[in-house]
Amino acid sequence: MTPSTPLQPGRWNDGELPLNVVLGVNTVINGSLAFKRFHSEADRITTVGEHCFIDGVHFSTGKRGRIVIGNYCCFTNVVLLSELEVVIGNYVVIGWNTTIADTDFHPLDPAERILDAIACSPLGKGQPRPKTLTSAVTIEDDVWIGANVTILKGVRIGAGAFIEPGSLVTRNVPAGVRVMGNPAQIIEEPLA
Amino acid sequence: MNALRKLSWDWYDGEIPANVEVDETAYIETTFSFTRYRSQVQGGVTYRKAASTYLGTMFDVGPSGRVVLGNYALVHGARIICDASVEIGDYALISWNVVLMDTYRMPRDPALRRILLEKAALSPNRLAESQEKPRPITIGPNVWIGFDACILPGVTIGEGAVVGARSVVISNVQPFTVVAGNPAKQIRSLPKTASEE
Repeated sequence: MTPSTPLQPGRWNDGELPLNVVLGVNTVINGSLAFKRFHSEADRITTVGEHCFIDGVHFSTGKRGRIVIGNYCCFTNVVLLSELEVVIGNYVVIGWNTTIADTDFHPLDPAERILDAIACSPLGKGQPRPKTLTSAVTIEDDVWIGANVTILKGVRIGAGAFIEPGSLVTRNVPAGVRVMGNPAQIIEEPLA
Repeated sequence: MNALRKLSWDWYDGEIPANVEVDETAYIETTFSFTRYRSQVQGGVTYRKAASTYLGTMFDVGPSGRVVLGNYALVHGARIICDASVEIGDYALISWNVVLMDTYRMPRDPALRRILLEKAALSPNRLAESQEKPRPITIGPNVWIGFDACILPGVTIGEGAVVGARSVVISNVQPFTVVAGNPAKQIRSLPKTASEE
């Protein structure tokens, strides 16, 4: 693309974008399943900034969930699950088959989990579900996340951190470090 | 091989790239596997006798990348990120969501990553070719890799070895052993086959 060509508005190549999703200029989303499980209510706005390439993503949200993504991000086959808020900064790269969730999905307590199973069943239509722990996920600018990584609720990943493929991130990651493992641990301090 | 390089059973409207070599006994479930393929070298992917790839297998192969699937190799949904060489031995069995990568593509320094991402944003395919030095990986013959495992750059997996599901392999695996964990460690030895003297 030459500089004289005006950049196109953001677009999703495989369908009509939900009204509460806003894309910045030159952002491209691919994948027919991208919004298959997008259930955010009208006042919960999901935004993707400018110049992003989001290939094969799942924006899977509950009624109160929302996802905010900055500029110049590049994701491949990422699964984003939000019941509350997932915030991703600028220049973030995420590899194949990585999952980010801001919720536990079901209660920890066994008795409450039975109630949840019933509420989620075909007989549970309209029944309220018991409370499940949710906590926002924040991924700061310049973070690199490899393939097959899992990031759980409440985690904040500091700017410039490098998450090795296959890591399971259960706790905050300081800025600039390199982590790997299950659970993810620091294997390299920030670059000098 | 079909001269048109299309597959009659394919759900995806694509073609097998011209520089991909496919033995007549090999099987490709879908050409969707080549949507990120951009190798410029002959044999960017080579399918040997009765090698097969199934849905979910993706060849994310850069301009100089070369992938070889050995005789009877079965690749059931691996993501192959290759800028130099990924060699898969005869009889290898590779499960779904396995990642085989000979490069990280992106530098460790965030400032350098920004430059690459800004370049990618203006390229027609939205990818910026990496300047990272790739480190080839070799999957030996008769190796079995469980689902969701990651094989990182520079790794060689010896003949007959087994890599447990969800393992992350960062160093070489000895022949006829079982490794598991993140990072992967040897947990067992296996009997050698007749091919070993």
